[in-house]
Amino acid sequence: MSDLLKATAVSVRAGLSQLVEPVSLTLAAGRPVTILGETGSGKSLLAQAIIGTLPAGLRAGGQVDVEGCSLDLAHPRALRDLWGRVIAVLPQEPWLSLDPLMRARAQVAEGHALVRGLNRAEAGQAADRDLAGLGLAEASASRPDQLSGGMAQRLALAAARAGGARIVVADEPTKGLDIARRDDVIALLMREVVQGGALLTITHDLTLARRMGGELIVMLKGRVIERGPADQVLSQPRHDYTRRLVAADPASWPRRVPRQPVGKPVLRAEGLSVRRGGRRLFRDLGLDLHPGQIIGIEGPSGCGKSTLGDVLLGLCRPEQGKVIRGEGIAARRFQKLYQDPPSAFPRHLPLGRALEDLVRLHGLDRGRIGGLMARLRLDPVLLGRRPDAVSGGELQRLALLRLLLLDPVFLFADEPTSRLDLITQAEVTELLVETARETGMALLIVSHDPDLLAGAADRVIRLGDHEGSPTGADLVRDPAAQTGYRPADKPGFGTRVAAEVSGA
Amino acid sequence: MSVIPTDIPLQASARPWSRLAGAALLALVLGFALLAPLVFPADPLRQSLRHILAAPDAASPLGYDHLGRSLTARLAAALRLSLAIAAAAVASAALLGVAAGVLAAWRGGWVDRAVSLIADAFLALPGLLLVLIVSAIVPVTPMAFWIGLTLVLWIEYFRLTRATVSRLMAAPAIEASRLLGFGPLYVFRRHLWPELAPVLLTLGAFGAATAIMMIAALGFVSVGMRPPTPELGLMMVELLPYYREAPMALLVPVLATFLTLLGLNLVAGGRRT
Repeated sequence: MSDLLKATAVSVRAGLSQLVEPVSLTLAAGRPVTILGETGSGKSLLAQAIIGTLPAGLRAGGQVDVEGCSLDLAHPRALRDLWGRVIAVLPQEPWLSLDPLMRARAQVAEGHALVRGLNRAEAGQAADRDLAGLGLAEASASRPDQLSGGMAQRLALAAARAGGARIVVADEPTKGLDIARRDDVIALLMREVVQGGALLTITHDLTLARRMGGELIVMLKGRVIERGPADQVLSQPRHDYTRRLVAADPASWPRRVPRQPVGKPVLRAEGLSVRRGGRRLFRDLGLDLHPGQIIGIEGPSGCGKSTLGDVLLGLCRPEQGKVIRGEGIAARRFQKLYQDPPSAFPRHLPLGRALEDLVRLHGLDRGRIGGLMARLRLDPVLLGRRPDAVSGGELQRLALLRLLLLDPVFLFADEPTSRLDLITQAEVTELLVETARETGMALLIVSHDPDLLAGAADRVIRLGDHEGSPTGADLVRDPAAQTGYRPADKPGFGTRVAAEVSGA
Repeated sequence: MSVIPTDIPLQASARPWSRLAGAALLALVLGFALLAPLVFPADPLRQSLRHILAAPDAASPLGYDHLGRSLTARLAAALRLSLAIAAAAVASAALLGVAAGVLAAWRGGWVDRAVSLIADAFLALPGLLLVLIVSAIVPVTPMAFWIGLTLVLWIEYFRLTRATVSRLMAAPAIEASRLLGFGPLYVFRRHLWPELAPVLLTLGAFGAATAIMMIAALGFVSVGMRPPTPELGLMMVELLPYYREAPMALLVPVLATFLTLLGLNLVAGGRRT
């Protein structure tokens, strides 16, 4: 195994404050290195320091040894010569970094011609080889908008690698992808490693980290708290944070015993068909929501998961079919929890004011806020702040609090945790489930993560593949039956989260 | 190689001094317009043969014009007139434009198309021409200016409001508020107004500057205010033939117009980042 890049004591500071404490790492051919951490842990900054792309105002320290020369990271300009030739970056959301008007072959040939200095004909042939190698030979004359997301990602990698770089840095390569696409990306990255390249992956995705293998570095608040072989770190975490992180992974949640529906349905949908942009998303879908029942909706992006919820809430019209609400239930008791917590609050209003407005509008009992704050483990200080000054997890719990004041009978949670860190995701999901059980609120929860739904829902509806299945929806699936009932796969971890929440 | 975004906020440069300077200039102009009649009481229309193009004295520190009228009193009256028309036109244009913009963005569909069509039709007419057409219809000149300028200025408010509100309507915050039971008034007060207000101020300052300029321009080509009404553009054109004998007298309305417009533009421009 040969070392391709050796970084020594890499640090990042902004003015006087140290954002990343000195870290050393070695990238070797054939062995992936993964940096795992939550938002704000400094993992991206560390990678940016190593490749020399830190934003203005931040200073890197330390040294990088690559291709026999030693570079001081405090002077990142020298690193620029390595870009493309030695180090390639697989950008986040690659389909945004491709030239939308250039054909696939030209995008790759450009790198060969301009970075490696080949002539046009050679560059074109090299591009053909690259594309064929990634299974894109057919697509060489396509523009990025004619490619699927996975193909665009492969094309972006081919373009990034065209300069001949053997070191690939992938920053959050699976951010916002559904499961199928995530698997594609992992396969793509592993291919690089197998072919003798070096790979540095930055991620918050535990599954990605586990599947990449190699060396795993766990970062928290700018410090490396644990490192070692990935399987060892993840199966026997030593640091408390890593342990909580592993426990919070939906794959290791304990499976619930699905609850049988009781009582009269609060919401019933009959024969729903929905069309968006001229495409039928699903048709003839029927659904009953009983008090306290938790139904999960799963499916790839764009399959109409959110639209189904909006139809049930009356926010958009179905093409056919009807939605019937339980008799005598006030309209305000049908509520929605949003994917992006900050965008669900008035931007300029302190959160306490927003709650106060609600209390006044409906003449609610102000005293309940205090109790709910304690129940959701929220600090009253937060009420004086504006939405942008509160973390996503806290804001999502505040959004839940705002809804709970109205005693909802039905809550549509649209990917409520997809913007949150793993540990916060586990907490918020647990809170939602407990709330549904305690208050008899029917919960419809959308997620792109089957593990999360299997752990939270009584029943999962799989929307999807409109071309394949006749109704577009694969209805009524028992999560336990589908994924294999795993009562105590990883004892301790999942229950620990639950215990923490209910114990507070 | 793409630059990877981070969560570290980079300081945006602000220019508070220019807003302060603009506000100070405006206060100066406004103070003069309102206080001059009290400190130097004189009828802006009273002619006096003894004072034709006379130098400044204690009764009129800005001197006298070609008919021996007090330039101090005339300038103060002209500024009051221009500022009052501009303020009224900006206020009514803002009201009309914001209301139409919110309506169009909120209702969408044919309402949006109809209002946008009307706005585009107004946009196709040159502003000065529009004011002239209205003044041909409405007999009272200040009233004609007010209506004409409102019709010119409301389009900007409309377009800006419509764009801002459409963006906000697409975000979940308003949908969430509606689901919680809040009505349209609350949505306007809590969601829309805080986003609109700062831009409206900027637009208001620019709009007032446009209005003052138009009034003066029409006066200067003798199709605006009728003599002997004191008006900035009229004063300029009346004093123009005497620029050799009394250059200072000609400079008075020019300088006053310049300072007012400068003040308004500084106030407006200071908000941009």
